[in-house]
Amino acid sequence: MATFATLVVLGLLWGGVYLLMAEGLNLIYGVMKVVNLAHGDFIVLGGLLALTLFGRYGLSPVVAFPLAAALLFVIGAAVQGGVLERILLAKPEGELRTLLATFGLSYVVANTSFLIWGSQFQSIPFLQSAFAVGPIAVPQGLLACSLLAAALAVAVHAWLRHTAVGRAVRATAQSALGAAACGLNVRRLRIVTFALGAAMAGGAGALVIALVPFQTSSGGDLTVQAFTLIALGGLGSYLGAWLAAELLGITEVMAQYYLGSDAAAAVIYLVFIAVLVFRPQGLLGRTMRI
Amino acid sequence: MSAARAARPRFLSDRAQFALQAALLGVLAASGLLIAGQGNGYAAQLVFNVALSVLLATGWNVIGGMTGYVSFGQVSFFGLGAYAAAIGVLHLALPWPIAALLATAAATSLAVPLGLIMLRLNGIFFALGMFGLARILQIAANGLNITGGPMGTTVPAAEGPAFPAAVTVVIAAAAAGVVAALMRTRLGLRLMAIRDDPVAAEAAGVNVWLAKVAAFCIGAGFAAIGGALYVWNIGYLDPSSAFAGTIELQTVLMVLAGGIGTVWGPVGGGILMSLLGTVLWARFPMEQQIVLGALTMLIAVALPGGLMSLLPRRGWMARPPIWGPPREASEGTLLPAVRVAVADTPGPVLVCRNLGKRFGGVAAVDGVDLEVAPGEVLAVIGPNGAGKSTLFNLLSGFAVPSTGEVEFAGCKIANIRPYVLARRGVARTFQTSRLFPTLSVWENVLLAAISRHRRKAHAVAAATELLERMGLREDWARLPQGLPPGRRRLLEIARALALEPSVLLLDEAMAGMTGPEIAQVHQVLRAAAARGCAIVAIEHVLPAIAPLAARVQVLDFGRTIAEGAPAEVLHDPTVIAAYLGTDMAGTEFAHA
Repeated sequence: MATFATLVVLGLLWGGVYLLMAEGLNLIYGVMKVVNLAHGDFIVLGGLLALTLFGRYGLSPVVAFPLAAALLFVIGAAVQGGVLERILLAKPEGELRTLLATFGLSYVVANTSFLIWGSQFQSIPFLQSAFAVGPIAVPQGLLACSLLAAALAVAVHAWLRHTAVGRAVRATAQSALGAAACGLNVRRLRIVTFALGAAMAGGAGALVIALVPFQTSSGGDLTVQAFTLIALGGLGSYLGAWLAAELLGITEVMAQYYLGSDAAAAVIYLVFIAVLVFRPQGLLGRTMRI
Repeated sequence: MSAARAARPRFLSDRAQFALQAALLGVLAASGLLIAGQGNGYAAQLVFNVALSVLLATGWNVIGGMTGYVSFGQVSFFGLGAYAAAIGVLHLALPWPIAALLATAAATSLAVPLGLIMLRLNGIFFALGMFGLARILQIAANGLNITGGPMGTTVPAAEGPAFPAAVTVVIAAAAAGVVAALMRTRLGLRLMAIRDDPVAAEAAGVNVWLAKVAAFCIGAGFAAIGGALYVWNIGYLDPSSAFAGTIELQTVLMVLAGGIGTVWGPVGGGILMSLLGTVLWARFPMEQQIVLGALTMLIAVALPGGLMSLLPRRGWMARPPIWGPPREASEGTLLPAVRVAVADTPGPVLVCRNLGKRFGGVAAVDGVDLEVAPGEVLAVIGPNGAGKSTLFNLLSGFAVPSTGEVEFAGCKIANIRPYVLARRGVARTFQTSRLFPTLSVWENVLLAAISRHRRKAHAVAAATELLERMGLREDWARLPQGLPPGRRRLLEIARALALEPSVLLLDEAMAGMTGPEIAQVHQVLRAAAARGCAIVAIEHVLPAIAPLAARVQVLDFGRTIAEGAPAEVLHDPTVIAAYLGTDMAGTEFAHA
């Protein structure tokens, strides 16, 4: 029973980490209805940057977090402004072209990282001890990441709800044409959104590399994991994404423990396909507006 | 005959076009064989790589290009073919040709259940679902001990690359030939229609499911042969190379660069991009994938149609019009525009009772009774939001009623798929016109005609006749966007009539038409009604349909509020109130 309770607690904490890694994708999808296939590679890039900052300058991931986010913000803005804005989403093949473009981007990012950091799995030792709550051992690093994820989720939500720019972003999400007609600079809002989504990916990577080792080719898996989560949550929904993250975290931890790590890696994809096929509208039914 | 010749000179005859393309394919294949046979191992290996690329790109294009289901996991079938062949050779001691054939057959059969699951998805969901499938298979292969698990295994290989190269060249050329031929068949036409608009394809009598799964299997088969050939040539197999994302990237890039959805795109793109990949690999092995990725981005942004889009749309490398051009119509060969069998049944052909459809708390259609007899024209009018289009979706099987039922020719239509209804004689048009943008005017009509006629000659004659009657014959080779809006509506009516319906449902078909065009539609509809076709026409306003309609039914808020001859209905106070609003009467707005 204590094992089971430990697994549930670990699952819940891991759920927070998954949420952290999916929030950027969720934001971009919610606003632009576009899936950034390079999302996982952005996470890995952020993580490897934190690795270098730790190795060279001894900076902790908590310090690296804003720096990785800032770098990815710049990259994200450049990608959206320089490349994706040139594809008109209004045209029927716009979604497909964007998908193909970000598919190419994922290889550019992953292989550029490969040139810099090589191909081995790498991690940062950080907050590796655990403290006991009754019979349950809670790893500190995991707890820190999970709390940060929750804080970030609340911050983004507050930003979208209560700031002028956030409201403009939501307006663009609901109708780009309507937003433009109200005098909003839709192009700039899309660039800000994409950059912010990329920054969240980079920041998440800087923290998560302290928990799981990254390899430059891990990006594809992370993209699918994040996408599974937001699809399960109902694309673009925040509450749904959080629920999905917790569910996925528990499933993954259980699968790791009872079935082994190979099977756990397959479980995420099985969940993914099952969600797409049987529950395309997500856990909470109809997609909620952000 | 002379007029048909006169209409042709702008284009090569499609037979000449086909012959030229076959010759080019032959020349390419022959040069591949020559280079492979020179005895230079490096050159033969290069030929093998190029031919394998063309084969994989051609297979990807069948599902990703022709059918519009872009996949990021087509490498699944490459890996399945590779693994099945390797197991056949290693553990069943099969000779290579038989192992390769069996592996292809196995992977293709597996594509049926996988296709039934994956093709429920579309767009990004299908693309990523396929990516997930490839990863699941890779993980499964890691656990497969008889092939060495994650470490992989050696497999007895061919002696030197020359023979595999020659075989692969022949198979790749055959695959391109199969796709070129496919584009001139019923299945090919249906796939391209599904890519353009699956809903409209269903309405034109296409069994969308069957066609998609067929395309999925063909694409899977090509990829699986490729996988078997790959192992045979290299003599080694492990999960990360059999299900490699790099293969997927290169395949997508090749199709995209050449021209997605065309016959020659994957061939040209395959040759060019695999050569480029080889050069990059030799010179900049570390940077190769960065360059290929960047190239994918560049093409997606700047040249989405690929190299083929730089060629003229009607050049000899382009896809020839399917079964075109329209034959010379002579009065004697005209087919009846409606089927006589159903028209002979006594009583109403389409009946619905207490029909209702709720969306959440809103009743879009609320207890509507409607019936229409063969040869009758019924107009359904009503203000915006009255539930007219929902009613049509219920009548044509596109929506399932919440209450009540629909009977067509004496049979309940509950649980009958729309394409079956379309084939049995319920044809419809859509409120916003849904033509297939990449199919010519001719092919738009032909698609529906092949749902009705088993024999090619009959389908061609019926499509020809409809174009003639609608005055669209001269425009047969144009794309629908090239037509003015009114003529697009005519084309959509022609497509519906090509099903030779017993019931024709027209959803605001005459909106945006000029006077002469309306007159033309009236003439065609009168002819159809005279032969027994029941016509239900939704119009926002009555005058467009009044000259034809014997009866008018007025809907508002999902209910029938009036019914009768056009003249009485127009003077019915309830109808006037529905259009002008009762709340407004007597207020200051009414006087303004």
